[in-house]
Amino acid sequence: MKIGALKERFRGEARVALTPESAGQLQKLGHECLIETGAGMAAGFDDEAYRTAGVTVVEGPTALFDAAEVVIKVREPSDEEAERLREGQTLISFFWPAQNEAMLEKCRAKGASVIAMDMVPRISRAQKMDALSSMANIAGYRAVIEAGNHFGRFFTGQVTAAGKVPPAKVLVIGAGVAGLAAIGTATSLGAVVRAFDVRPEVSEQIESMGAEFLFLDFDDTQDGSESGGYASPSSPEFREKQLECFRAQAAEVDIVITTALIPGRPAPKLWLEDMVALMKPGSVIVDLAAEKGGNCDLTKPDERVVSDNGVIVIGYTDFPSRMATQASLLYATNIRHMLSDLTPEKDGVIVHDMEDDVIRGATVTHRSEITFPPPPPKVKAIAAAKPKKKEKEPTPEEKRALETAAFKAQTTRQVGLLAVGGVLMLLLGQVAPASFMQHFIVFVLACFIGFQVIWKVSHSLHTPLMAVTNAISGIIILGAVLQIGSGSAVVVVLAAISVLIATINIVGGFLVTRRMLAMFQKS
Amino acid sequence: MLSQGFVSAAAIAASVLFILSLGGLSNQEKAKRAVWYGIVGMAVAVGFTALGPGIGGYGWLIPMVLIGAGIGTYLARKVEMTEMPQLVAALHSFVGLAAVFVAWSADLERRRVLAARAADGVMQEFSAFAALVATKAPDELTFLQIEVVLGIFIGAVTFTGSVIAFGKLAGKVDGKPRQLPGGHLLNAGAAVLSLVLAVMYLNGAGFWTLILLALLAFFIGYHLIMGIGGADMPVVVSMLNSYSGWAAAAIGFTLSNDLLIVTGALVGSSGAILSYIMCKAMNRNFVNVILGGFGGSQGPAAEIEGEQVAIDAGGVASALNDADSVIIVPGYGMAVAQAQSAVSDLVRKLRAAGKEVRFGIHPVAGRLPGHMNVLLAEAKVPYDIVLEMDEINDDFASTDVVIVIGSNDIVNPAAQEDPNSPIAGMPVLKVWEAKQVFISKRGQGTGYSGIENPLFYKENSRMFYGDARESLNTLLPLID
Repeated sequence: MKIGALKERFRGEARVALTPESAGQLQKLGHECLIETGAGMAAGFDDEAYRTAGVTVVEGPTALFDAAEVVIKVREPSDEEAERLREGQTLISFFWPAQNEAMLEKCRAKGASVIAMDMVPRISRAQKMDALSSMANIAGYRAVIEAGNHFGRFFTGQVTAAGKVPPAKVLVIGAGVAGLAAIGTATSLGAVVRAFDVRPEVSEQIESMGAEFLFLDFDDTQDGSESGGYASPSSPEFREKQLECFRAQAAEVDIVITTALIPGRPAPKLWLEDMVALMKPGSVIVDLAAEKGGNCDLTKPDERVVSDNGVIVIGYTDFPSRMATQASLLYATNIRHMLSDLTPEKDGVIVHDMEDDVIRGATVTHRSEITFPPPPPKVKAIAAAKPKKKEKEPTPEEKRALETAAFKAQTTRQVGLLAVGGVLMLLLGQVAPASFMQHFIVFVLACFIGFQVIWKVSHSLHTPLMAVTNAISGIIILGAVLQIGSGSAVVVVLAAISVLIATINIVGGFLVTRRMLAMFQKS
Repeated sequence: MLSQGFVSAAAIAASVLFILSLGGLSNQEKAKRAVWYGIVGMAVAVGFTALGPGIGGYGWLIPMVLIGAGIGTYLARKVEMTEMPQLVAALHSFVGLAAVFVAWSADLERRRVLAARAADGVMQEFSAFAALVATKAPDELTFLQIEVVLGIFIGAVTFTGSVIAFGKLAGKVDGKPRQLPGGHLLNAGAAVLSLVLAVMYLNGAGFWTLILLALLAFFIGYHLIMGIGGADMPVVVSMLNSYSGWAAAAIGFTLSNDLLIVTGALVGSSGAILSYIMCKAMNRNFVNVILGGFGGSQGPAAEIEGEQVAIDAGGVASALNDADSVIIVPGYGMAVAQAQSAVSDLVRKLRAAGKEVRFGIHPVAGRLPGHMNVLLAEAKVPYDIVLEMDEINDDFASTDVVIVIGSNDIVNPAAQEDPNSPIAGMPVLKVWEAKQVFISKRGQGTGYSGIENPLFYKENSRMFYGDARESLNTLLPLID
């Protein structure tokens, strides 16, 4: 099959769907690759690089549409592009079918199959083609870099000869892929990072990235696994509580990065005007949801706004495109994985298997039919996570009461045991001869010492301990030694055998322990 | 001949040395000295007792000691470190058997003395232990009988139990739990019968009762240990260790020898504590382990979703090359595949590349308490990077790569997440919290407990199939 990558015509779009590297991989699958001239220029790949990789460079979009059987690109197709599609052709790109119904109908009418990269279901197998995640990852990283660009201070706290610098405090709202990437970037720059998300099950991920999870004490929290790992709209009560929490943070934080999106809806307003007013001058807000209306009241898409009190609000919508090389490499790899799933035999023949969960989910038109929305995937996205219950910290009084109670219980138990033991001893003393009792005292004391001593032995030395105690238990040899001088032949023979095997035990046990311990060495 | 005073002084010295020896095992450096305390203590104990008053029989004693020492030295030199569990079990059986013999002898001597008393009332000259028995009052002789019974019973159980444990550990006996029809009723029956025999013996029945008693106890030891599976062996071995100590203490009472009593009690209580520690590590109680099998679960185990994803050496190598921190979790599979030196080479290479490499050891990994530590020490892995579960469990979340080599149940998240799992509540190593987990494993089978391991299906888990040693050897050249 001939796979052709179009040049992006959207204003400011620098990404490209095919890189020389991914072209090499596609050729291994038996495909032939084409590219429109200059398509990779903005992302740092010139036509020459493509030619070296064996890609045919085509002049202009019309020629490419004519030559290619599969057209790949980044942004959703423009009207012109859709017009050029023909029957049987496949288009792979971002598509946003829910928002672009007219375009969907147009592509259907043209008879082309469309695979929407934004519709790849969220299951483990499909992670390698999850372009939304790879773009979100870049957006999260870039959001922090942009914030740093406009922020007048260090991220990390420093104590220098010229004075002390406090660390920047960063608040990340929404811990999806972009949010987590932002957390990771900000923490590695040395900032103090806090994060919030409506899905309590992501608290572990937030903490694993090194941020503090802002816990909201609310009963009606939602289970993200029900909606395929995405957030859904929350109740008004919950929203109130959430805003209250943000308001408390507003005066403290220096940088706010908002990434809250709900699939198929405008972005929720989470950072209100009054919160911006509370922030210190020079603080930065980066709104990654700008394209969908923004999480912040002041956000203007594609613009940098400065509020009355000097807070900078960044509403760029082209973060991935601002890192075009990196974004193209990742996106092209996602596309390449999609195509390798579409080419199961690796023979250059595309099999559009509508039974396959991933392909079915991503296909929005096929054979002149609209196949959107897809049926729910057969495999559930994420195993349902049990909501994490935050254990209530006991107050100092409660703690002390618990400790006292435990201490009392322990005392009662110990005294009880001692009393029972004492009574038993007394009874034993009534029947046993005096000589026995003497030995018995020794026995009980030895048991006590044994208990006390062994608790301290380190775990790693348990095997040597076994070997030593084993050797020492060879003390049974004394019994045999005491009897071996007997006048009875049977006793002498039994004692002799006992001496023999007990000696094997003693010598073997000690030597093997020495061997083991000699091996332990410090680095 | 040394006087009794000398012997007693020696006994005190030896007891103190033994206590110091056990206590000294609290860390690796002191341990090397502690073993010498033990050796000197034993030499003092045996030497002075043998030279004490009224011993004799040196014509037998000296050659037997020499031969035994020869065999012991040979065994200790020859044994592979992976075979340590077997060796320890085998040595326990010797103590058990010796205890049975000594107890039998004690009764034979008692009979001789009684026979002589009954014959003419004239006290003839007895040698060795019989001389001591001859001085005993009737009530003391009754107690001596009780002690003999205890010595025989514990000794005999220890003997066959250890032989079976040895067989299982050495792979000569099937490792699966197996019982005769009747199960624990047979054990209980044998125990009741033993009690009856003991009562008959105390009431003056002949020596045959003691032989039968030993046979019954042999059976109990055999049947009890046959019913316990391979993974519970750490508990079994330390329990048998404890028994061998109690047997020695019982014999000490019989022979009125304080040194035997003290030493036996030390060994007995230390073994008991070790068993307790092992049981705690598996969140099971001692009786449950000894009677075999897992407790019944309260409901169906949680369904596992997802798939096991395999990875090849190249993938593991590139992840390791990118990682800054690595934790290796070894299990019995590493011992079986003899992979410890390959692991050691891997660690050396990773550390040379400036990565932080540590080991996480579960208390019941392997077949003997501390088994993994000894194997790693043999492969020259420094002990200060080998950490136990409690020390390392919180660090998994900040670790880049975890490599699980031949362990299964001890890294099973079901123990914490699924209340219906048969191993629910068992403390496990939380490897799944790491960024990435590689599991080196032969195939897709389940662990000893036969439980599916959800770890293998987690998104950050990759299966590295194949024999552990071969897998690691293909991996080594790819690390830079």
